[in-house]
Amino acid sequence: MKFHLHVGVVETADATTLDEALAIAGVAANVLARPVPNLALLEREDAEKVITALEERGLHPKVTR
Amino acid sequence: MLNRTIVNPATDIRRGYLHGELDLLGILETVAARRPKVLKNGLPNLAFFRAANAALARPDVEAEGIGFVQVEFWLTLAHEAGLLIENDSLLEPSAAADEFFASSLPERREFMRRAWLSSRHLNEFTLTPELELPGLKKGRTVDVTTDLPDLETLQAARRVLARAAAELTEEITLRQFVRDLEKQHRNLFINHDDDGSWRQVFYRGIRDRGGRSDLERDGNWDLVEGTVIGLCCALPLAKLGYLAWDPRNRTVGPVDDAPETPAFEIIVQPNFEVLAIGDRPDASALWQLARCSQPSHEERVRRYVLERKTFTAALGRGLSAADALALLERLSRSPIPQNVRFSINDWGQMSERIKVWPDALWIEAEGVEELAKVLPAGLVNRLGASACAGGHFVCAAPETAVLREVLPARRAVLDYSRRLPPVIAPGPGTELLAPREELHLRARRLLEQIAVPTSADRWQLNAEAIVKAGRDVGGDALLQRVREAMQRPLSDAQALALSTWSGRFDKPFAGQLDVLLVDNPEQAHLVSELPELAKWLTRRAAPGVFLLRAGGAAAMREALARLGVTMRADVRERS
Repeated sequence: MKFHLHVGVVETADATTLDEALAIAGVAANVLARPVPNLALLEREDAEKVITALEERGLHPKVTR
Repeated sequence: MLNRTIVNPATDIRRGYLHGELDLLGILETVAARRPKVLKNGLPNLAFFRAANAALARPDVEAEGIGFVQVEFWLTLAHEAGLLIENDSLLEPSAAADEFFASSLPERREFMRRAWLSSRHLNEFTLTPELELPGLKKGRTVDVTTDLPDLETLQAARRVLARAAAELTEEITLRQFVRDLEKQHRNLFINHDDDGSWRQVFYRGIRDRGGRSDLERDGNWDLVEGTVIGLCCALPLAKLGYLAWDPRNRTVGPVDDAPETPAFEIIVQPNFEVLAIGDRPDASALWQLARCSQPSHEERVRRYVLERKTFTAALGRGLSAADALALLERLSRSPIPQNVRFSINDWGQMSERIKVWPDALWIEAEGVEELAKVLPAGLVNRLGASACAGGHFVCAAPETAVLREVLPARRAVLDYSRRLPPVIAPGPGTELLAPREELHLRARRLLEQIAVPTSADRWQLNAEAIVKAGRDVGGDALLQRVREAMQRPLSDAQALALSTWSGRFDKPFAGQLDVLLVDNPEQAHLVSELPELAKWLTRRAAPGVFLLRAGGAAAMREALARLGVTMRADVRERS
């Protein structure tokens, strides 16, 4: 096991939703890793961009801070 | 009216802490709803103060010049008690506020009493509107040259006041309460032992409101200390349940010993508004409601609007749709409207489709490792880690000290808030070495951009990947990133390959070329204008140096011969 502290994590129901979420936030190119198709690891500021972009479009993800 | 919280003034004075806590709740709800920006003076802006003041049971009247004493009192106390935190200059309720309201009423009362007794930033003198403190600076700090009591004196005075309040056996006037204190504790806030000496004629730096000079000590105990005691009676002592305060008759008395029990209910309306009805609302239940809705109080009506954004924010804090519905059902006497129930379930399901941890601890399962079996239970419980896709675990990033306590032995933590060490080393040929144990996500991402893995620790530079990465980020930027991630410099061969594939270098040419050299600049200019040269010229390498396609030398020799120009036999030969 490996401990990664202070990363942004985005998990979606399916890979397509994740692709869309990353695309609308404009962070698809910055993804640090996608260990599985519906899970993306990002830098923290990019994860905040995902939240902002989703909320601007009326989507409210479950945000755990 | 049904949808208004009716407060009976006659019973209002006996409510003690239960009543006072509603003011605290109002302040916290206003903070939660507005998330105000903290200005340079350490306080939120005026709009927040007005909104928070309006959420109080008995708002202060701004026009009377009192300011927002109650808001300032509760805000300072809540901040010091850790119920509020500053996050990126925005004020918001902390997780401690949730824990606070989850505790019992007596526990909450004791907690707030301790917070007041030990408060370091609260200064009752600065809150007293009847007094003017010329030494007062911005942010309610005071000038050290005044007679205003220091922190230790203030804390000791609070304990004395709390004891005096507890000893009340019957209702007495505030004036009598102040007189008794003057007799027994004349030095309560300010030392009066040397009154009358030339040093202690005045309360230095303390004036009555609108006064032009410091107040004289002689005969003004009631005006200075008395008004501060009056403020303490009306605010901390009454609101924290030490005594009963009647503002109309200005009397103080013992609080009822009978346990305070909340009595209220909510009405959930089809338009998603929830109204709290009753004389003694339960602050604990209302706080739970406020955390999954948008508090929107009007005058003294406690109104909570259920909306998706705040609801999903609550889901992120661990609430579930079932919990929220159970709360509403528990507090409401009538059934929850069908559309509200449906929407809450729908919001819950929709928000589960996208989950974001913006600042997380991600525990990676490597290989076939089953984290659910190998992760220590203490770590999972303490950090609140939960399984996510792929068998990995995730939770909100804990404090470093907390993580250190629960971290399994010999396990390193890769902290992405810092610059991580370079872990890639050059290998033979175009191979790169990156030990799997040390490989962090940033280095792994870079490797995936430029190479393909050939084993657990070895990667091979890949032309196709580098071409794509070079197009995406630019050759220079890519090389810079690679150099920063390397433990040792790239080998010459690797640097050449990387630079070339990423588009930093033009392709060199190795093939048949003819060269035409013309030493005389004027002659070179004239030759360059010839149409025959244009047919064969590949590139003008330097003034007078023309690189021609294969066969061009013979063609130019022939063309120039027609103009009387003959070629020399050797490149070194000069006429």
